[in-house]
Amino acid sequence: MSAAARTLATYLALLALLAATVGSAFVELGLGNAVLNVAIAAVKSVLVVVVFMRFLSGDALPRLAAAAMLLWLAILFGLTLAARLA
Amino acid sequence: MSERTQSEAFAAPRRELAADTFGMWIFLASEAMLFGALLLVFLAARIAYPQAFAAASGHLSLPLGTANTVVLITSSFTMALAHVFADAGRWRGATAGLAATGALGLVFLAVKGYEYRSEYLEGLAPVLGAPFRYEGPAPANAELFFNLYFTMTALHAAHLLGGIAVVGFVLARWRRTAAAGRLRRVTATGLYWHFVDVVWIFLFPVLYLIDR
Repeated sequence: MSAAARTLATYLALLALLAATVGSAFVELGLGNAVLNVAIAAVKSVLVVVVFMRFLSGDALPRLAAAAMLLWLAILFGLTLAARLA
Repeated sequence: MSERTQSEAFAAPRRELAADTFGMWIFLASEAMLFGALLLVFLAARIAYPQAFAAASGHLSLPLGTANTVVLITSSFTMALAHVFADAGRWRGATAGLAATGALGLVFLAVKGYEYRSEYLEGLAPVLGAPFRYEGPAPANAELFFNLYFTMTALHAAHLLGGIAVVGFVLARWRRTAAAGRLRRVTATGLYWHFVDVVWIFLFPVLYLIDR
């Protein structure tokens, strides 16, 4: 697949996922609604980061920065929510 | 000093591009801490006041929020296309992609501004001393929802405005920028733009889609 075709396919997938997340809001799933919304947002983010930001095709240093970002976010969210939900 | 790099610190354009990209990712990681902390505050408040936050979220315009999400995703698409064209040295396509990206960014801000205006007129904008009038349950907690909504979306809009300014700058300097410099600028601007898009990808469901 050419780079332009891959970009277009990703765009269409992002729009489909947006439709899914808005549509799911009208189905009663209890806590499942929030979980589904965050899961879909995560999938959309991975698409943007991998295809649009070319995360996997570049060299290793950006991946180091992203890994550090995820580590610190995990500490931030993990410790705060552990205290909140305990 | 190589002629084809902008800074004499780099032996080859490829190295300069790699340094740009790494620097950009470190910056974006620090930005993620800023937005992550705000999202976490929102999440903690939502866990504490689930009913009040669900009722307050229902006052946001889902059609406008959804339309704006389409606009921003499309702007990321045109930015990614600009990068693809810049890679191939197709400069006309690259500038068209950049111009479309900046224009879509302005459309997003215009819609956001219209939403802010409607919320202000309904008395739902407890910012800058504006009055807060709310009929639903637990108005104090709903006010917290709208405080966080305006803080997070305004911070996001400020980032988008910055991105539009940079896109405008890149386009204004385009004719005086060498080929390698053009690719570097499109790459770095694109990384920032896509990050601002990812922030909105999380803000939209978190703010607009609570218990519809």
